[in-house]
Amino acid sequence: MTTQTNTSSTTWTLKPPVTRTRDHPAMQSLRKLLRNPTAVAGLILLAAFLVIAVAAPLIAPPAANARDPYIIPRDGFSSTPQAPSAEHPFGTTEGQYDIFYGVVWGTRTAFRIGLVITLLTTLIGITIGALSGYHGRWVDEGLMRFTEIFQAFPFLLAAITLTAVLQTVYGRGEAGPLMIAAKGLALLTFGHNPAKPLDPVQLQILTGMMAIILFGWMGYARVIRGNVLSIKEHEYTMAARVVGVSDRRILSRHLLPNAIFPVLVIASMNIGSYVLTFAALSFLGLGAQRGYADWGQMISFARNWVPSLAQHWHIVVIPGLAIVLFVLAWNLVGDALRDILDPRLRGTGGGL
Amino acid sequence: MAGYILRRLLIMPLLLIGVTLLIFVMLSALTPYERASLYVQDIPKRQGAIEAVIEKYGLDEPIHVQYINWMFGRRDADTGMIEGGVLRGDLGWSKVGKSSVAEVLGRRLPATLELALWAAIPMLGIGIWLGVLAAVRHNTASDQVLRVASIIAWSIPTFVFGLIMLMIFYAKLDWFPPERLSEWALREVQSDSFHAITRMYTIDSLLNMRMDIFADSLRHLVLPVLTLALLNWAFMLRVTRSSMLETMRHDYVRQARAKGLHERKVIWRHAVPNGLIPVITVGGLVLIGLLNGVVITETVFNWPGMGSFMADAALSLDVISVLGVTLFSGMILIFGNLLVDVLYGVVDPRVRLR
Repeated sequence: MTTQTNTSSTTWTLKPPVTRTRDHPAMQSLRKLLRNPTAVAGLILLAAFLVIAVAAPLIAPPAANARDPYIIPRDGFSSTPQAPSAEHPFGTTEGQYDIFYGVVWGTRTAFRIGLVITLLTTLIGITIGALSGYHGRWVDEGLMRFTEIFQAFPFLLAAITLTAVLQTVYGRGEAGPLMIAAKGLALLTFGHNPAKPLDPVQLQILTGMMAIILFGWMGYARVIRGNVLSIKEHEYTMAARVVGVSDRRILSRHLLPNAIFPVLVIASMNIGSYVLTFAALSFLGLGAQRGYADWGQMISFARNWVPSLAQHWHIVVIPGLAIVLFVLAWNLVGDALRDILDPRLRGTGGGL
Repeated sequence: MAGYILRRLLIMPLLLIGVTLLIFVMLSALTPYERASLYVQDIPKRQGAIEAVIEKYGLDEPIHVQYINWMFGRRDADTGMIEGGVLRGDLGWSKVGKSSVAEVLGRRLPATLELALWAAIPMLGIGIWLGVLAAVRHNTASDQVLRVASIIAWSIPTFVFGLIMLMIFYAKLDWFPPERLSEWALREVQSDSFHAITRMYTIDSLLNMRMDIFADSLRHLVLPVLTLALLNWAFMLRVTRSSMLETMRHDYVRQARAKGLHERKVIWRHAVPNGLIPVITVGGLVLIGLLNGVVITETVFNWPGMGSFMADAALSLDVISVLGVTLFSGMILIFGNLLVDVLYGVVDPRVRLR
């Protein structure tokens, strides 16, 4: 929003309030964020990860004949992991997958998965929360009971279950609404051309993402609903209704912009938890397939080497550090944002 | 008080129907052929045998009829007996567990329960203690350190933490091994002279006066308990801290200080009892954390409980077992939340009046 210059006109129009002399609130928040040392640490980490993700083909160039750059190149087929060396700076895992390559390209996977899941969960949450809060009465009652049902399951267990179900269903390879959903998600996540058949490697990742999305929107719905309920009673909403503004316009122009700030805070904190959940699915063997550049998947090899982990420390510590730093970066920024944007949320845990 | 509990109880059936419906919807994503394994131990190879199973259990009937059959069981046309039914405890047949899902759950629950109960001690104890500490020293260096520490703890995946614990304390130092008992102790526990009462080895060994087995089971518990407690520890800390900060602003705390009480007494006798009341409300979330946590923790430590069963079943796409465990956990959560609500009402009279 910029300061409105008053042009004189002969017709009557509702003038927007011209009260702004200070900075834009977003600029104020940004300045506060940059004064917070933990937030700055988080932002620096995020910037570093972003650089690695963007420059992945330069840092770890895929082989010239590679079909998919996200498949980690192998150096032989021996099962014993190799310690870090000049040829493999971070060593190799079981099956000789290069850990350096996997960590670098895994950064892209983590961003993709975290951002796409967050985008879709917030969209679902905002829609359900806004409808519920604005319409009230039986719509509210129905939608909130619906939300409670999804909250009645432990998140990870529900995600595992749905992943297993979806993998069985997609295993049949039938066309239908589910296949269209998968293609849409593939387009959004991997930029996959919907006209072509789905890559089974990508499909397995998509099932995990779908499961997290379907059981991850409830926090947003509740927060948006609460905010819409409280803002609905404000005078400016009443005024809009009195002058005959339509329902949809009130919702999109008055209620949502004011209700949405806390959602951004929760979203930034949740990106980390979504990445953690997907990593857990991969660790259990349900997320990314063996050999895909995904941090959780790389660590899952370590399960076979528990008694000799002291010798093969690098197969856990290096990809593990990548996950911890990535999630930590989002959590540091999210924590600071919460303090700045919404003091009421201060001190509560994550959104889930 | 009765009205308050009654109101909570009235929501329950609605929630139970919703939860079972959601599970059933996921189940119906499978074809009748795939679902036939819900009822039979091994699908016979004979031609037409699967069709007979589908026919017998009505797997091709309209969806609402199937839901009712699945919930309440179905009368067998030949024998006239009612078979199956989730409400009668029949969650289907587990391919991975090679017995009924309910049986596997019964067998594996004690191990999970033992782990969760022991994990609750450091989680609640350390979490609450540090939370009070952070609130008392609000905005000092130690508050900031605890804040950052809890964000870090919040960012570590359970499986990475567990594997690093194993790397240091098992592979390197050989202090705390994975699994539930050493081989010799396991043989002892399974012998006839050992009375299995709760099947939680720490308790059974004490009841059997076997201190060596007790020590061995404790030794195996240390790492998984620490791993399971880690995530919830940070959560407890933050909740306790914010609730304590709220309480310490009240007049009666200032009053206690004004009349010259020692600061320690002001905090632990006057502020903490009230400050901890809202902490009860997150009991449900803690339960969620434990249920989520056991899946990963048990997998990392080879702990033969419900969580590792869930992970194994999911990996072999044994959907029936996975749905069974999830339905069971959903039930635990619904009843756990009810308990939390009631407990909150009992402890804090203000809630009842609302």
